[in-house]
Amino acid sequence: MPAQPFTSPVEDSVPRVDNKVAVGENLDFQRKWWKFERAIWFFFFLILIADVLGAFGRGWLSKARQSDSAKTLTLDYEHIARASTPSIMTFNFGPNAIHDGHIQVYVSDSLVKPLGAQRISPQPAVSALGNGGITYTFDATQLPATVQIALEPSFPGRHYFRVQVVGGQPIEANIFVVP
Amino acid sequence: MPTILHAIAGYFVLLLIVRVLKRRAGSQMTLFEFVIVFLMGGIIILSTVGNDRSVTNCTCAVIAVALLHRSIAWAKSKSPTLGAIIDGTPLVVIKHGEQQPEIVTGMKLRQEDLEAAGRSAGANKIEDIDYAILERNGRISVIPKEN
Repeated sequence: MPAQPFTSPVEDSVPRVDNKVAVGENLDFQRKWWKFERAIWFFFFLILIADVLGAFGRGWLSKARQSDSAKTLTLDYEHIARASTPSIMTFNFGPNAIHDGHIQVYVSDSLVKPLGAQRISPQPAVSALGNGGITYTFDATQLPATVQIALEPSFPGRHYFRVQVVGGQPIEANIFVVP
Repeated sequence: MPTILHAIAGYFVLLLIVRVLKRRAGSQMTLFEFVIVFLMGGIIILSTVGNDRSVTNCTCAVIAVALLHRSIAWAKSKSPTLGAIIDGTPLVVIKHGEQQPEIVTGMKLRQEDLEAAGRSAGANKIEDIDYAILERNGRISVIPKEN
């Protein structure tokens, strides 16, 4: 049996201009797109402003400070941090922090694991595991005294942590890590 | 896994930004466009592969982008609306020798680009052009008047 010839007409579905030139112009869509473009560029501008101010970390809005009620420990840190980007948490010790020539600080595990504590400066004399975290012991003579921990969070999200000078009130806070 | 997610996110971020940049009339890349392409590509690759620069990781990222690109190309062929969103729509810039101010202004076209497109089609003046169409790839197609 011979093959049937192809007889379906070729239909031109592309809209024509002046019923003459098949262009496929969609001016209504383009007008909507121009409106979208204006909105998106304004949105991009807002993102840059927010970034400069630190809404995504590493700026004025991202800095935070917390103290316990007795001011034994004051914590400076970034409550908005960026994944895989270093940020510094500073422990400023106040009166009553030094006992027998030592300062003992407890940090929860979350500061070490999800928030990625990379290094601690100065190095503690003793590190002791337990109670869901690590207790660092530093040799200390007199105030002012500060310790810095370099954080480098691995994953985005909100991460809670707890720190305290042993014998003092705990400071509980969270760090929001943006991708 | 994070690399694949980063690659997908990077693809869509770049797609959006390149899409909302105006089409370059004449579709020829100038040094200005080269700067944009290389700088944006270089920046986005940093977050895509992160610290893992292994062949495995980079290969997975490339495969993810290729698969995504192919899927979007398939979706565009099925949906004209998606095609218009991603590639834009052709626009008539000149009709019967008259510029269309809404298109020229909206697409930020320059008079020099229109005249250059006309010359390449043998039309010495804008008035000699019957239709000029700004194509989706940024090229301007010119149909001169018959006489």
